[in-house]
Amino acid sequence: MARNQNARVSARSDDGGGMLPLILAIYADPEEPALIVRLQHRDPKALAELYDSYGRAAFALVLRVVRDRAIAEDLVQETFLRVWNRAHLIDSEKGALGPWLLAIARNRAIDYLRSSAGRERNAIELNETDHAPLYREMEAEILISDQARRVRAAMDRLAPNYRTVMELAYFEGLSQSEMSVKMGQPLGTIKTWVRTALQSLRNDLGVAVPS
Amino acid sequence: MNCDELRDHYDLYALDIAEEPERGEIRTHINRGCEVCMAGVKRSLETVALIGASAPEAEPSSQLRRRILASVGSAERRAGWIPWWAAALAIAALCVVAAYLGFNGREYERTVARLRSERREQTAQITSLTEAFAILSGPNTTEASFGGMQPMPPQGKVFLNPARGVLLIASNLPRTPANKIYEMWIIPKGAKPVPAGLFQAQENGSAMHVQAGTVDVRSTAAVAVTVENEAGADQPTTQPLIVAAVPPAPR
Repeated sequence: MARNQNARVSARSDDGGGMLPLILAIYADPEEPALIVRLQHRDPKALAELYDSYGRAAFALVLRVVRDRAIAEDLVQETFLRVWNRAHLIDSEKGALGPWLLAIARNRAIDYLRSSAGRERNAIELNETDHAPLYREMEAEILISDQARRVRAAMDRLAPNYRTVMELAYFEGLSQSEMSVKMGQPLGTIKTWVRTALQSLRNDLGVAVPS
Repeated sequence: MNCDELRDHYDLYALDIAEEPERGEIRTHINRGCEVCMAGVKRSLETVALIGASAPEAEPSSQLRRRILASVGSAERRAGWIPWWAAALAIAALCVVAAYLGFNGREYERTVARLRSERREQTAQITSLTEAFAILSGPNTTEASFGGMQPMPPQGKVFLNPARGVLLIASNLPRTPANKIYEMWIIPKGAKPVPAGLFQAQENGSAMHVQAGTVDVRSTAAVAVTVENEAGADQPTTQPLIVAAVPPAPR
């Protein structure tokens, strides 16, 4: 727990990296299994603790996607209520609450973008990456402290076109076809860039991300 | 498709940009508990999560925390739910009574566990009821019935509100087999069904399910329910038990 508290203190000091909220959110809290059990038991105080741990991170992520504070707050509220109503789906011993919550937050935000733009997917779609079993025993440690800075550096080292496709996919929820239109590049080129970008990221991080 | 053929698509799946048929295939593997694909997708989700680390830091308003908690806590108060300390006192009082009446230790524990379980269920029900009430009381809510002409239902109604979501109220639902669950679907006109949440029926076959959020009622043809694996499905895999045709939304 002490490690976690230290991390939170450094978050408040703002080292300018801008990535700490997300990192902290994904940081494995040793008290998390108890928090999950309390959520499953519908303890409102557990929801308050959940918000205190992950609220800022979820908001930062959603705001980056929708770029509107009011809408971002609505979506974050939906995210926490979704977790509240679906807490029974996560394994209290092996689940990773932070990654799961942030995946839901990101999916809600992307669904909003798609819905507001009249794109093919509906706002109430249940994304498969919401599925709690996928977040069992997730390697959350890869996202903390020094390794997190390596991640950011690796993102910065990506060639601009690779970084752009990553951002369009992750923060704007564009399909490869949509990226092709937006960037004026053939679909095959986009597919290559996406694969290469992810592979470069993984290679650059080496040990941090098991292959 | 086998796992080797899907391996190159795990990252795309995690980014939610995988295309068919690989997307559906991976979903099927995960649904049937394929350890190879579960591990691969999980690893990809970890990688993809890294991209989110570049989101600039941002601080939500102080009201957001209150709003989120009020959406749970206020609902409890509105519905007359007793605070936690009162529940604790009630449980303690029951414990004293139980001891007085000569309950042995095991019976006493069972009683407390049962009371706690009931409290959890009631809290969950109140949350759902609050969402349901919001849909029912909405001025733009559209109503559709199903099962009225069948001798052996399920029967019930669905209510669709553009801003609040979809409410399903059903009775006479058969018990789902082990590891199965009901899944609701919004079926847009001329498009594939969209998943709208998982639920289970009560012992007596009744069910109420709320899919909160926005819904485009005008473009919705029907609401349906199928039985699916516990993790849910991307598209219906069984014949629907319920199909409620949605009438034109009020203008």
